[in-house]
Parts: sequence; structure tokens; C-alpha cells
Amino acid sequence: MSAGLAPTRLAAGGTQTRLIQAGPEGAAEAVVFLHGNPGSADDWARLVGAVGAAGKRAVAFDLPDFGETAAAADFEHSAPGYATFVGEALAALGIERVHLVLHDFGGPIGLVWAAMNPDALASVTLIDTGVLPGYKWHSLARIWRTPVLGEVFQATATRGAFRFLLNRKEPQGLPRPFVEEMYDHYDKRTRRAVLKLYRATDDPGAAGEQFAALMAPRDIPALVIWGEHDAYLPASYAAKQRQAFPSAEVHVLPVSGHWPFADAPDTVERLLVEFLTV
Amino acid sequence: MAESRRELGATSTDYDAVIVGASLAGCAAAILLGRAGARVALVEKQPDPGSFKRICSHFIQASAVPTIERLGLLEPMLEAGAVRSRIRAWTRWGVIEAPPERAGYAINLRREVLDPLVRGAAAETPGVEVMLGRAATGLLRSGEDFGGVRVRERDGTETELRARLVVGADGRDSQLAKLAGVKEKILPHNRIAYGGYFEGPMPEGAPDGTIWFGDPQWAAAFPTDREQVFYVAMPTKDRLPEFKRDPERAVVDFVSDFPDPPPIRASRLVGDLLGKIEMPNRVRAVTAPGLGLIGDAALATDPLFGIGCGWAFQSGEWLADAVTPALGGAEPLAAGLRRYRRRHARKLNGHAFFIHDYATGRRHNPAERFLFAAAARDEKVATPFDHYATRQIGPARMFATTLPRAVVVNARHALRRGSSAPSRAAAPSSAAAR
Repeated sequence: MSAGLAPTRLAAGGTQTRLIQAGPEGAAEAVVFLHGNPGSADDWARLVGAVGAAGKRAVAFDLPDFGETAAAADFEHSAPGYATFVGEALAALGIERVHLVLHDFGGPIGLVWAAMNPDALASVTLIDTGVLPGYKWHSLARIWRTPVLGEVFQATATRGAFRFLLNRKEPQGLPRPFVEEMYDHYDKRTRRAVLKLYRATDDPGAAGEQFAALMAPRDIPALVIWGEHDAYLPASYAAKQRQAFPSAEVHVLPVSGHWPFADAPDTVERLLVEFLTV
Repeated sequence: MAESRRELGATSTDYDAVIVGASLAGCAAAILLGRAGARVALVEKQPDPGSFKRICSHFIQASAVPTIERLGLLEPMLEAGAVRSRIRAWTRWGVIEAPPERAGYAINLRREVLDPLVRGAAAETPGVEVMLGRAATGLLRSGEDFGGVRVRERDGTETELRARLVVGADGRDSQLAKLAGVKEKILPHNRIAYGGYFEGPMPEGAPDGTIWFGDPQWAAAFPTDREQVFYVAMPTKDRLPEFKRDPERAVVDFVSDFPDPPPIRASRLVGDLLGKIEMPNRVRAVTAPGLGLIGDAALATDPLFGIGCGWAFQSGEWLADAVTPALGGAEPLAAGLRRYRRRHARKLNGHAFFIHDYATGRRHNPAERFLFAAAARDEKVATPFDHYATRQIGPARMFATTLPRAVVVNARHALRRGSSAPSRAAAPSSAAAR
């Protein structure tokens, strides 16, 4: 985590989520970062700092049962359930106009929120995520979605196995501290939440076309960043984001995998700050 | 038989050699043949003496510098502003660069300046007759051998240029090779190329050129004369839609999205952006009776490695040297052509094999990753690697000199990493304390 961004707690959706903030406090327009799986608010520490330093309010928080945040007892682990939580968190923060920055499963969650609140959406930045027409779950997700197999996999995912599995599919490997922190947050609660979330999401590509039809006429400014060697969500989807966001600026980073903000942090920061401040 | 081929109204002239194509290879061969006392017709379809090849990275590898020196072109090129540069190769293991005193130095001069300069040198060579604005339309026979070409003047009249040797130096789409029906093999090339000259801050390492091996994406920055930089993007073909949408923006984005990017975003495009979408590798039989092919007409391989210009000069030199005794009457022409064919194969086939294999746009294989990693970590591996990349040594010698040391370098690296692992594993104790 970058210095100077002490996490605080935010009461929303029946829990106290961990919040990282930078930039003008209390601004009604803000850049909102949603992490993926496995992930947490910490994924965004550097970018939150950079966007804040560029004069924009930037917020990132743990999604329930990720990072260091437990979900409320009756929380529904599904994309709409998480999108509802996002709405509650934004209300608690007093944010009315939103620049979304989404990664991985933060994509479906953020886009469901956007479909429910299209007028509040100022721009979208999609990092290895977005609308996924025709997408079939990656192999790991298929394991998670299979009863018993998913539980066995989660129970046997040791630190070493986790590190190996993650790095095996990354073109440059990921920074060690990034992977270690991710594993530290991958506790029992998160593992259970992951199984529920993936099992609740039968067809990740299903709503893509309706969403695109809803969004395209609005032509919302969009930045798409994708690691060319993403092993989970193929980079061929990068240009397809123009179905929903026709004017999208598309960057496929040649040496990156699924986590460009970890393996090409300078490039991602430059692209994001430039996009948000132009 | 020869008489019967002469058509009414056509005039005929006799030369020792007629060379079709007055670009780098054709001019190099013409200069050396002329110097050896041959009477040479150098035929060029472009009428403008200042014409030049537009789509070219104009990077002339160190392998061709001795040829350029022999042609008397090195000094004039440097006076015209040519830049001598090493190659730095960005890989994910680090930048591969040979130490300055050991590296091969290429020579870089924009084709707009280079082509007229080389053509001027050919025109000034005694015995060389430059014929601009004439296109080859047919091959003449002399017995079983080819014995000249038929050319069309700008006014439409045709002339027969008879010669003992016909040289095809007319590029990758060689008309002469087609007319002669030489065997051709086409190998797939799965990249597109977009590039242009930019003015602005110099990239790191200038005047050295830098190439980015993105595996498989590829980009390069070549500083050149007039303080300009030739930036080129050579993505795999699936990236084409982005380049068709807005070529200039796509080039700038593509190059600047690499790690440690050059300052292309702070630079300004000078002139047109150039693009090429189809460039299959063409491998031809380099000789036929009475005919020799040089430059791209003989072997048009992936421009990614910047070998076209250098090999044009060199193959022109090899052909001229090989046939000089025959043109002087010391041996049959076939013996000279055979010598040329063998030398061409010995010098270039190994290189071409690996270039063609890489041209499919595939990912790096384990052997490449192993070598790249070692070369980035150790300059004693980087040096033979550099000599190979600058085409001064072939692949066999490169592998023989790099592999043993690469094994040691990579093993040492792995051991060092292994010994430091426990301390790293202990590092996230702060997280464990939560």
C-alpha cells in the first residue's frame, strides 16, 4: 500500500467496509474503484493516490467478504447483490457522479450498478473486464462452480499453490508483495464468498448485449486497458467494449497479463490519469 | 536462334550484364562489376533519379558495413548525416546490449537520401550505363540460357538489351523472377507494419536503436539523420482493426504502451505514416542459367529484423565477385553463378530459417526465452547475440558461443533467487500479524 493513504472504515450495507480515499474530500463527483477476485481495496492504493494527486476525489473500498471486510449476515453474493452494496456505499460517501474504474469481477458488478444508475455514470475505465458476449467461464471458475470440487480446491489452495497458480499464467510474473497480500486476504470467508459469487453467475456473457444496447446511445467516455496475455478474460474482448462504449479508447498492453496495474503500473497510471483529467 | 528473337523495329545493344532494378542491390552489383571492367546496363523503371523506397526502416546491419566501405559509400553516407547505431533489445528480463567496444554498429540513413546517393555512385562508375524510366517486359534467350531483357521505354517502344548475364534486382515482387519462372516458396508472415519519421526528444540510448520484444508484439525506435526517429510498430495481424481506425494514433499508442517506452508521445510525425499489411516471406531460387537474383528479389524476408538493406548490398557484392572471372572469360558463367548460389545459401539460409520461423507472430519458445534472459543478464552472452542480430555471425556460431555460458548465467541467477527466497517469504509478516 502506498504511504499516506490510511484506510478508514465506512458504514454501508450493514457492514463496516475498509475505505481508501484521496483527493478533495466530500466532492459529489468521484472516481470509484471496484476490485475483482481475488482482490481488495489495496489493489488500487497507487492509482487512488495518483488520481487524488491529480485533483479528483478517488475512493476504493473492499467489497463484502473480500479484503478485510465481512459481509452482513443476509448479504447476497451475486453481481446484483454486490451492485446494491456499491449503491449503498456511494450514498454513504455522498457521491452522485461516478467515474467507474473496474477490474475483473468488479466489471460485472460495476456494470450492473451502471445499468441501474446510467445518469450517474460520468465515465468508465475497464481493466481486463467489461461486457463479455459469448464468454465461457475460465477453467478456474469452472472448478469453483462445481459442487464439492470447488470446496476441495479452496481448501487445498495453500500459499505456495496460490502463488504458483497465479504466476504460472502471468507473462512476467506478479510482484511478490502483491501476490502475498492477495493471499493474505484470501481467507476462509473470501473463499466461501468466491464459490457463492461464481455459482450465482451462470452466464457471464448473458446480459452483455442488452447492456450494450442500453449504454451505446449514451456514448459514455470510456478507457479500456487489457493485458494482452490475460489467461482468464481474453484480450480479444478489449475492442468489443466499443459495443457498449462506442468512443472507447482501447489499449492492449503487450507485456501484461490479468493484472496490468500490478505488472505495468506506470503505463496504467499514465493512461488513467490522462483519461480522467483531459 | 538469337537472331530470330530480334523483332522488327527493336534495336539491340550488347552488354556483359544487364541489371534490372537500380536500388541498393542493383547499384552495388553494378558498381563492382563496372569496376571489374564489365559493361553494365542498369535498368530502372522509375524515371526520377531521386526516387527512393518509401516503406523501409533503412536500418543497414553491421554485416553490410564492410561492403558499403568497399563500395566507397561509407564516407559519403556519413557526410550526408548517416547515424552509426548499436541495437538495444528490450526484453522482459532487461535490455540486451553488447558493450560499446564489442557491439556491431549499423548505419542508418533515410532512403530519401541514401537511394539517390547510391544510384549516383553507380552512374559515376565507368562502364555502368544507368537507364531510368525503363521497365523490363521480357527475357531474351541465348541458347538454353537467358541472354538479356526486353525493356519498354517511356514512349512505349521496346528495346532489347542483350547481355551474357541478367541480374534481377527488382525487389520482393520481382518481375524478372516471374518472367524467368524461377522456383519460389512463400512462407507466412503474420504481422503488419506501420511506421513513420518523428521529430522530438531522442529515445533513451540514442543514437542506438531500440527494439521491444513484447512476445509477440514488437516495436522499434531508430534514430536517424536530421535528428529524426523512425518509429515502427509491427503487431500481429489481429491488431489491424485498431491501425485501420486511426493509424497515427494506433502507432503512438502501440509504441507508448510498451514498458519503458520511447518519447513518441512528445514527438511529431513528419511526412506520411507508412503502412504495409501483406508481406509474405519470399524465398526464390537465386540463380537460373544466365540469371542471378539479388536483394529482395532473391530473398524477401521479414522486415522485422531490419536485414533487407544490408543483405541487398551484400548479395550484390557476392554476385559481382562470383561472376567476375566468368565475365572476364576465365570460366563458364554457370560456374560463377553456382559459386554465388552457394555463398548466398551459406550466408543467409540459417538466418532466414529462424527469421521465417519467428515471422508467424508466434510466442517465444523456451529456447528463445532462455537465451534472451541470459543475454539480458550477462554481456558475454549479449555480445555473440549482438553479432548474430547484426548478422555478422550465423545461428550455429551464435548458439555454440552463447549456450554454454547462458546455462551458467541462468543457473547462477536461479540459485541467487533461490537463496534469497526465504527472506522474501518472511517479508509479509506484517500481513500475517493482522
